[in-house]
Amino acid sequence: MVCEFCEILERKSGKEQILFEDQDVVIAVRDSVLTPGQITVFPKKHVPILETVEDSILKRCAVLVNKVSMAVFESFGSGGTNILVKNGLGAGQIMPHFGIEIIPRQEGDGLELAWDGNPLAEDEQELTLHLLQEAFASLNRPDEVKPEEKKVLKQKKGEDNYLVKSQRRIP
Amino acid sequence: MLEQPKITEEQKKQLEEKLKKMSPEEIAAFQKQQCVFCKIIDGSIPSTKIYEDDRCIVVLDINPSTKGHVLLIPKHHYAIMPQVSDEDLGHLFVVAKKLSQILLKGLKVSGTNIFIANGPAAGQRAQHFLIHIIPRKEGDKLLPVKEKIIDHDMQEKVKLAIERSLNKLLGVKSVTSPKVEVEKKPAVIDADLDVEEIFGSKNKDKFEEQDDELEEDSEDSEEKEGGANLDEIANLFK
Repeated sequence: MVCEFCEILERKSGKEQILFEDQDVVIAVRDSVLTPGQITVFPKKHVPILETVEDSILKRCAVLVNKVSMAVFESFGSGGTNILVKNGLGAGQIMPHFGIEIIPRQEGDGLELAWDGNPLAEDEQELTLHLLQEAFASLNRPDEVKPEEKKVLKQKKGEDNYLVKSQRRIP
Repeated sequence: MLEQPKITEEQKKQLEEKLKKMSPEEIAAFQKQQCVFCKIIDGSIPSTKIYEDDRCIVVLDINPSTKGHVLLIPKHHYAIMPQVSDEDLGHLFVVAKKLSQILLKGLKVSGTNIFIANGPAAGQRAQHFLIHIIPRKEGDKLLPVKEKIIDHDMQEKVKLAIERSLNKLLGVKSVTSPKVEVEKKPAVIDADLDVEEIFGSKNKDKFEEQDDELEEDSEDSEEKEGGANLDEIANLFK
């Protein structure tokens, strides 16, 4: 599948859609938007979903999103901005490349980025709370993470040894 | 979302008078004192807390779009996003990533939306900046977002319109200006832009006003940029 974001980065369309780029992150104007003036911030590295974005790169994205949002206020006289991440097929993500959208808003612009709230029944709320607390706890349990970490460490050690060995071979 | 208690017109007037006499620090303290989310954070209003660290808490939305809709709230009282420190915002996104993972696993959904409403026009109803994380399933029609294609001309207009203030905010020298001198002068590019065409006639005046402000401010320190505009929006939550 062709990745729209990677194509923007490689400038395949022949037009410049990039407003700013640094080592890790790009700010660009995409072809397909909810409303004109929408800007996208995305990591250069082709990572499909939020869960696979490195923390340091995600933090950089967040800071840039805030700057873009401020620039949108200043440049377009917007009354507000929506920040949206569509993460996963169920959330309407089309391109398998993580990105954050900054959407300029005006009173009465007709964009329906809102929802009707439905309070949960008390028992359902209890259950949801319990499920999520449990999921959080299991994510942070150290014994579930350890095996993988060890593997990575071993590999790295091996690589180092190999490199050291090959260096030694050089006269 | 939590609703604000209703007040009469007279009370509103009194409040406005009172606010006029206050210093910015006093206003900030007053806002904080009135803020439902600050009360959730300090525990004086009970909530269904899922997670807490030194910078933020996560609670179930009491009026959710769907089961498992959670709110990620910074502990510091920020009214709108531009006020949020880089450190806090970065941390919030990292926690949002964790939460998204938890919703995907714990609720067996096929997606999540990270959503921020910044300013009343964007649907912000709370006077405390927060991030929504919404579990999604295909066909749930929760946030129906229909994208449309914009042509190359429109893209260029958008780029030209935002380039100058974005570059300023990012501390980048404008790519389009060959000399540094050009930056100090009012940008000619913006004047040529047909704002009406891009963003509707309603905003044209606003755009021009802001442009003037920017030009006046351009010699001032960088920190002040666009401050008045953002404060106005933040103060709508008084």
